[in-house]
Amino acid sequence: MAATAVTVGRLLRLRAAGAEGHWRRLRGAGLLRGFLQPASADGDAAQRRQVAHFTFQPDPEPLEYGQTQKMNLFQAVTSALDNSLAKDPTAVIFGEDVAFGGVFRCTVGLRDKYGKDRVFNTPLCEQGIVGFGIGIAVTGATAIAEIQFADYIFPAFDQIVNEAAKYRYRSGDLFNCGSLTIRSPWGCVGHGALYHSQSPEAFFAHCPGIKVVIPRSPFQAKGLLLSCIEDKNPCIFFEPKILYRAAVEQVPIEPYNIPLSQAEVIQEGSDVTLVAWGTQVHVVREVASMAHEKLGVSCEVIDLRTIIPWDVDTVCKFPNQGWNPCPLPWKCGVLTTGPPGKSPGCSYLKSVIKTGRLLVSHEAPLTGGFASEISSTVQCPWRVCV
Amino acid sequence: MAVAAAAARVWGSSRGLGRVGLLLRRPGARGLARSHPQRQQQHFSSLDDKPQFPGASAEFIDKLEFIQPNVISGIPIYRVMDRQGQIINPSEDPHLPQEKVLKFYKTMTLLNTMDRILYESQRQGRISFYMTNYGEEGTHVGSAAALDSTDLVFGQYREAGVLMYRNYPLELFMAQCYGNVSDLGKGRQMPVHYGCRERHFVTISSPLATQIPQAVGAAYAAKRANANRVIICYFGEGAASEGDAHAGFNFAATLECPIIFFCRNNGYAISTPTSEQYRGDGIAARGPGYGILSIRVDGNDVFAVYNATKEARRRAVAENQPFLIEAMTYRIGHHSTSDDSSAYRSVDEVNYWDKQDHPISRLRHYLQSCGWWDDEQEKAWRKQSRKKVMEAFEQAERKLKPSPSLLFSDVYQEMPTQLRKQQESLARHLQAYGEHYPLDHFEK
Repeated sequence: MAATAVTVGRLLRLRAAGAEGHWRRLRGAGLLRGFLQPASADGDAAQRRQVAHFTFQPDPEPLEYGQTQKMNLFQAVTSALDNSLAKDPTAVIFGEDVAFGGVFRCTVGLRDKYGKDRVFNTPLCEQGIVGFGIGIAVTGATAIAEIQFADYIFPAFDQIVNEAAKYRYRSGDLFNCGSLTIRSPWGCVGHGALYHSQSPEAFFAHCPGIKVVIPRSPFQAKGLLLSCIEDKNPCIFFEPKILYRAAVEQVPIEPYNIPLSQAEVIQEGSDVTLVAWGTQVHVVREVASMAHEKLGVSCEVIDLRTIIPWDVDTVCKFPNQGWNPCPLPWKCGVLTTGPPGKSPGCSYLKSVIKTGRLLVSHEAPLTGGFASEISSTVQCPWRVCV
Repeated sequence: MAVAAAAARVWGSSRGLGRVGLLLRRPGARGLARSHPQRQQQHFSSLDDKPQFPGASAEFIDKLEFIQPNVISGIPIYRVMDRQGQIINPSEDPHLPQEKVLKFYKTMTLLNTMDRILYESQRQGRISFYMTNYGEEGTHVGSAAALDSTDLVFGQYREAGVLMYRNYPLELFMAQCYGNVSDLGKGRQMPVHYGCRERHFVTISSPLATQIPQAVGAAYAAKRANANRVIICYFGEGAASEGDAHAGFNFAATLECPIIFFCRNNGYAISTPTSEQYRGDGIAARGPGYGILSIRVDGNDVFAVYNATKEARRRAVAENQPFLIEAMTYRIGHHSTSDDSSAYRSVDEVNYWDKQDHPISRLRHYLQSCGWWDDEQEKAWRKQSRKKVMEAFEQAERKLKPSPSLLFSDVYQEMPTQLRKQQESLARHLQAYGEHYPLDHFEK
C-alpha cells in the first residue's frame, strides 16, 4: 500500500516514493497507523494478514507516583525524555530523524520545547552517533542517542564494546561515559523480516561495562529509561517496537525510577518458573494462564528487565533458611566454612529452587541466546569458583 | 554564525586540487532552510532554469567532464622555516619569546631521550612494549603550544609530546609503561596508553580512529556549555581510512563543532605506505569534501605547526566550525617495539629524514641563529635530561604493581554482584595457590 510505503523512511527503502504528495499528508496524520497494526486491538486485520498475535496485558494503575495519564509505549518514552530534558540542562537527544519526532514518534514535540541544539538530527551513521554520544558523555553532559532499529546497531558495536564499555576501566576511572544512554527499537513486529525485527541483547550481554535494559510495558519503559539515563554507566535501552502503539496503560506524568538489575516476579507460582523480557513477557503470561487452565500447572512468571548485569538473586539466590551441602564432587572451600546462607561464592536458585523447573523464552536465536547464560548459571551455580 | 559564501570558490567548479579549496559553509545545504517539504512543491516559472535540487548549490553545465583529482600538484605545504631553521617569510615568524621557544626545544629533546631509554628498556625485557615518537616531536609540541591548557585532547598513541608539553611528569610516563602502583590508569593497559584528567588528555585506547567521533561529541558539548574551549583530535593518515574518521568529519561539519582535526601524516601505517593507504591528495584534500576548512603544513617545522594550530583554534572557537590540519612528517622510528621497519623501507630513506629534515635540528639551528642556544648548553642539557629520565626510570623499576583486586573495579561505577563474586573467587584462588604467582611484585 502506498500509504504504508512512505511511513517509515528506512523501513521500506522507498525514499523515491516520498516524492509523491502522499508523504506530506501522512506525515502529520498518524502515519504509522498503517505500519503498526496493533494486533490485539484489531484481530480482523491480523487474521487478514494471517499473522500470530499476542495480547498486551497492562499492569494495574500505579498509585504511588502521583497523577497518571493513559499512554502507549512511545508516549511513555517521550514523557521520560521530556522529564530528563527538563531536569538536566546538559541533556541532549540525537540520532537519525529525531528532530521531526522520530520514525516511531518517540521524540515528538521535544525539539520545539527544548530547542534545536538539544534535539537534533545527525547524519546517517551509527558508529558516528554512538562515538559522538560517548564524546558528549566524556565531558559530563547527558547524551541520549537513538539508533533507528536495533538491527542497525552493529556499525556501532566497536564504539560500544571497545570504547563505551571500557572507558572507565581502562582509564583507571580518570574518564568515563556513564551519562550515555542508547535507545533503540527492538524485537519483532510481524512484518519486519530480517532487518527490522532483531533482538541483539545477547551480543551485548557478553560485554562487561554496559547495561542492557528491556521494558515490557509503558509504565516499565518510562521508569527504566529514566533509570538508564541517570545511571552512571553507559546503558542500552531496547524498546519493543510492537508495543509502541499496542501497549497502553496508565503511566505517571511525573518522573519516577524503576531500579536496574532487578527482575520482577509478576506472577507467583509453584510448579515452574518462566523467565522472559520485553514482548515475550506477555506471551509467557498467556502461556501461564493456559497452563493453569489446561494442565493445572502453577507458573511463576519473571520479567528479567535488565539483561546485564542480570538479577541472578531473584532467579538464583542463597537460601535464607536451611543449609544444603554442595552436591558437587569437588570442594570449592566455601560451603565448608561460614554461616548458612552467607557464603559468598555459593548461589542457589530462589525461584527455581522453589519450583524446581525453569523455562526461558526469547525472540532471539536459540544458540548463544541469553537463555543459555541463565540456564548455565542455574544449572551450575558454582560456576564462579570452578 | 553563517559565514558568507560569497568569497568561497565552489568546490565543484574548480579544476582539480591545485588551489586550496577552502570551502566555507554552503548555503545550499542549510541556508535555504529545507525543513519544510512544502518548499519542494513550489511552482516556478519554466523560464527559471537554475537548478533547484536541495542536495547541491551549483550551476548547470552542458559539457560532460569528470573532475580530475590532482595528486601531482597537491595542496601546498605551509612552512615558516627552511630545512636549516631559517625563517623564510619574516611576516610568518610568530616571534615567540625565548623562554617559550626553549620550552619547545627542551620538550622535544626530553621526549627523544625518554623514547630512547624506554625503547631500550623494552629490548631488555623491563617493559612489555613501547612506541617511539622519533621525527614527529614537532607536530606534538607546535600544536600543544598553540592551545589553551584546558583544551581537551583526544589522541591516538603517538602524541606523548603533547602531554610532555603540558608538564606530565616523567614519573607518570614511566609508571604507565611499567604498569606500577603510581600509574593513574591502575596498570590496566599496554604501555604508552597515557591519560591525564588534570591535564585534559583523554586516556589513549588501542582501536584506531575511535577517538575521532568522540572528540566531535566533546566539542559539541563544549559549544553548548559556552566553554570557550577547543577540542583537538590527533590521528595518523592510516587511521584516517577508518569509518570513524569519515563519521567524525561529517558530524563535526553538520553539527558545527569547535574542533581541530590534526592528522599526522608520517608516511606509514606500520608497513603500509601512503601509496597503499589512499589514492587522493592525502587527508587535507578530504576536508573540503565535508565542508571543512583545511590546511596542509610542514609537520617538521614547529613554527608552522604552531601558527596553523593557533589560527585554527581562534577561528574554531569564534565560529563554531571544524578545522583540518594535515601535518606532513616522517616516522623515523619503527611502528613499535614489535616492528622492524627495515623489512619494508630502506635505511637510506630513514637516514635522510633523521639527518636532513628533523624537527629538533631545525629548531636548534633557529635557536642558535638567535643566539639562544649553543653547543655547551646542548651538552649540558643532554646530560641533564638523560639524568632526569634515568632517575625516573630507576624509581619506576623498583615500584610494585597494583593489587590484583583492581582487576575488577571500575568496570562499572559500582561493582555488581557477579564481579564481586569473581573478585572473591580470585582472592580465594590466590590464597590456595599463590605460590604459583609472582605475588611479591604486586601490592596486596
